[in-house]
Amino acid sequence: MALVDITNLKRHYKMASGTVRALDGINLKIEEGERILLLGPSGSGKTTLLNCLAALDNPTDGDYDFNGQKVPKGHAEKMTTFRRENIGYVFQFFNLLQDLTVLENILLIQELSDGRDESRARELLALVGLEAEVNRFPAEISGGQQQRVAIARSLAKSPNLLLGDELTGNLDSATSAKVMEVLVSACEAEGITTVMVTHDESLTKYATRVVRLDSGKIISDEKV
Amino acid sequence: MSMLLTKRLARSLWRTKLRLSAVILMVAIGVFAGISFGAYAISVTTLYDDIYADDELGVNLPDVWVENNAGNWNASTSETLCQEIREQWPSDELVLDKCEPRLVSNGQFFSESADNGMVVAVWHGIDEGEVDRVWIPEHDCCSGRMAIAPDEIVIDQHAAEALEIEVGDSVHISAGAGYALDYTVVGIGFHSNHLYFTIENQILPAQPGTFVTGYMTDEGLEALANFSAGESNYLLIDVEGTPDPQNSNASGLTDLEIGIEAIAIEIDNSHLDVYDRTEEFSVEFLRADVEGAEKAYPVITGMLAVVAGITIFLSLQRLIQSQAKEIAVLRTLGVKRMSIMPGYIIAPIFIGVIGCVLGAIPGVFFGAPAMTKVYEGIIGIPIINPTVPSSLVVEVVVTAMVIVFLSGLRPAWQASRMQPLEVLRGQHEIRVSSRGLQKLTAKLPATVGLTIRSSVRKPVRLMFTFLAVGLSMLIFGSMMIMMDSFGEIFLGGVEDRQSWDAKAMTEGDEDAKDAIIEWADENGAEHELMLIFPGKPENDNRKLFACGLENVATETGDSMFLVYLSDGNLPSANQAIPEVLIDEGLNHFLGWEIGETHTLVFGDQTVEIKITGFTQGEMSRTVYFHRADLAEILGIEATVVMLDLPDGIELDNHLAESSFGVTLREDTLDAFETLMEKQQEMFIAIQGLGILVAVAVLFNTLVMNLAERDTELATLRVLGASNNRLGLMLFGEHLGIGLIGGVLGCIFSVLGTKLMLSSFVTWTAYFTVSASNSSIFLLIGIVVFISISLTPFGMWRIKKMNLVEKVKDLSQ
Repeated sequence: MALVDITNLKRHYKMASGTVRALDGINLKIEEGERILLLGPSGSGKTTLLNCLAALDNPTDGDYDFNGQKVPKGHAEKMTTFRRENIGYVFQFFNLLQDLTVLENILLIQELSDGRDESRARELLALVGLEAEVNRFPAEISGGQQQRVAIARSLAKSPNLLLGDELTGNLDSATSAKVMEVLVSACEAEGITTVMVTHDESLTKYATRVVRLDSGKIISDEKV
Repeated sequence: MSMLLTKRLARSLWRTKLRLSAVILMVAIGVFAGISFGAYAISVTTLYDDIYADDELGVNLPDVWVENNAGNWNASTSETLCQEIREQWPSDELVLDKCEPRLVSNGQFFSESADNGMVVAVWHGIDEGEVDRVWIPEHDCCSGRMAIAPDEIVIDQHAAEALEIEVGDSVHISAGAGYALDYTVVGIGFHSNHLYFTIENQILPAQPGTFVTGYMTDEGLEALANFSAGESNYLLIDVEGTPDPQNSNASGLTDLEIGIEAIAIEIDNSHLDVYDRTEEFSVEFLRADVEGAEKAYPVITGMLAVVAGITIFLSLQRLIQSQAKEIAVLRTLGVKRMSIMPGYIIAPIFIGVIGCVLGAIPGVFFGAPAMTKVYEGIIGIPIINPTVPSSLVVEVVVTAMVIVFLSGLRPAWQASRMQPLEVLRGQHEIRVSSRGLQKLTAKLPATVGLTIRSSVRKPVRLMFTFLAVGLSMLIFGSMMIMMDSFGEIFLGGVEDRQSWDAKAMTEGDEDAKDAIIEWADENGAEHELMLIFPGKPENDNRKLFACGLENVATETGDSMFLVYLSDGNLPSANQAIPEVLIDEGLNHFLGWEIGETHTLVFGDQTVEIKITGFTQGEMSRTVYFHRADLAEILGIEATVVMLDLPDGIELDNHLAESSFGVTLREDTLDAFETLMEKQQEMFIAIQGLGILVAVAVLFNTLVMNLAERDTELATLRVLGASNNRLGLMLFGEHLGIGLIGGVLGCIFSVLGTKLMLSSFVTWTAYFTVSASNSSIFLLIGIVVFISISLTPFGMWRIKKMNLVEKVKDLSQ
């Protein structure tokens, strides 16, 4: 059974200028342990697909099963619970809480989901190579380090699926490489499936599968 | 200045219209309150000036009174006193205009309209009437003329209205002579001594129908009181112009009073009291009331304008922060600083102008008339020709506008000083949380730590918010604390510490005292003597009251009149140097301390006293003696007989005719209730205003805090935090802010009220305020409640958050 099973997924927006078909009949199966890269030009529907995968957005039509279960839609709290229990999310701009230290950023997510586990939080920080920075504030570390904290944070509640939206888009190439290496090794260590949206073709080497989108449709789906 | 930039700013402000409305409302409330209080103060000041004026329409209020506390002068002594004062006039700066003897007596008014058929009264026998006439204005309230014939009388309007007395009616009255006479009412008017209509030695306006004053000819009163022709107990001295009694040293009044006293004592060494307008209770009380209003209205306007200014300041800062990137782009494109600044200066001016217009119009047309109406209801004097001078409106509006303008200066300056590079790098938003705070909260759960740290993320905003909440709670709290203290201030312990049912006045007359005691014995009533006599501290011209109690006590059952001993010990009787208690006002004004010995002056007698303690609750300056000690000093046994009436025994005509007036405890308590009822609406309105402003201030800040945390909250929502958990965090934050704001609001209220009232207290009217525990908890509770009431709004905002849009923002 696939971890993610999407059938004929559509997301249409009604605008003054007409209907925008952000996703227009997506079919996608994702197996456990895969590392998928979503590539495509701006407006191709990458982020909309990611939002639907995260249950942030409600598809207009189609089916989305996760681990054989229907993913809730139209009910904000149920969607939140689904996210809390299954999804990890890494943003382009890290979005760490500036008032909390590196360690506390991870503890916060634990507290908001299953419960506080400081040793696990420290373990995750060690996994992303930041065991020495636990007591520093986000503003006191580099962008690459912040993104590694964000990765550790997203792993804190052991999600089944980790989603990343242009997570290296704000980093230089050397830092990007470092972050991706950390991500790959951490996800492998934790056995977490990942889906990452990017414009950056050079990141394909970190993926096990590359899915290309255009105009809301999958135009290619290749194993790497 | 670019019109487009200004237009853009206006649109941004319009997007926050709820907050914008709150700020405009605050300015409007400040202006409204300023105009309402200011108009009241000006109208009433004008009214008093008109009443007291030394002209045909005014009453020609005396500048100095000489009072004989020991009885009456006969015709010859009165004449001689005035003659000698004229001849030996002791002032070079002040010129004597008139010296007129006056006869005033307590008495009784008999009326079927009154509860028990009799009403305590004061009668004035007016001789020439050149000084201190009756004021009969051309107004619906009043009519008729002064009394000319011995059987004519003018009744005070307060009493005439309550007892439905009209010109042409016949009234039946007495004055301690053992009989009563009929008089024809020829006028209804007011008198300067009774504009503030209180029974002697009381602070509260008399309950309608429980007190009467009447003004007849001197012959009329002589007949009523069985006095000889020409007897008098007052000399009314009027000088040319009006020397300022508030600066009696500079105006020469003090020297004049000392000089007159010296002259009078040479002729008659009885117990004389020479005083000016500050010692005439009604005159001084009303002056203090007006002075209070005059002082209060700029404070209230300023305070509300400052609160509005703080809110504008914070709102503009938030606006600039949210527009930082746009400003940075404009600056990068070469837009000059001076092109950015004006818009942010115009914004508060615009807000101020709208607020001023919205406050001034209802202030002039509704607030000011409503205030004068409340005043008329409480004091019972019609305000003839109330005015709202344009100068007042200008003054209030300018005060508000200046404060509002200043509040916009710093944000405007900050906007123009923004460093584009810093802003575009996002560095202006990053603020490293305090390491100390992190350490303090490190052991707490991260959710709690975040709640605390994000609450204090903007300390300046938080401090200003607390200041604004404190100021707005001062408006609410001061009213509440004053209400708390009013019982003590106005009742002076009548309710809690005094158990007499009636007080019968003897004016020091032995026959009257014996008759009252006889009446008490016949009717099974317990009685206790009291001796109240005016005196002065040595080398000080201010009047105090010596109060001789049969037993100076604090325990129920020991006396019908208990004292509230706030410090020290009760005095012992029969000491070589009489031991006394002094009220806290004497300690405040004279610095007299426990254990010290001081000298009091009663007429030409000086008496050494030893202070053993302080008492609280007296509005007038009071020294408590054991009655036996005071009686020995003065040679008078009692001026009051307190009566504890058994069930079923009521006062009768015999007691009324034998005494110089009888007052009932029940009437005093009713008067307090009535006063509270009359003031209640105004108090509630002012309290509501304070709450409204506090709500607006807290709402403004907490909504800004929420708006600023959108990114943070959205991140947590995307990462799976439930609404309830986030709601709990908001609740914790609001609870914390509410608690701190509440405690600060409480401190502001207590200190502010004390400070405000301490500037109003005078020798004649001294009072202290204290907040009860319940008031303190209520004050804190209200702020906490307002603060946590905004949690559902925050949760609603989080719930309504479009996460797809937020994720887009987070990725840009």
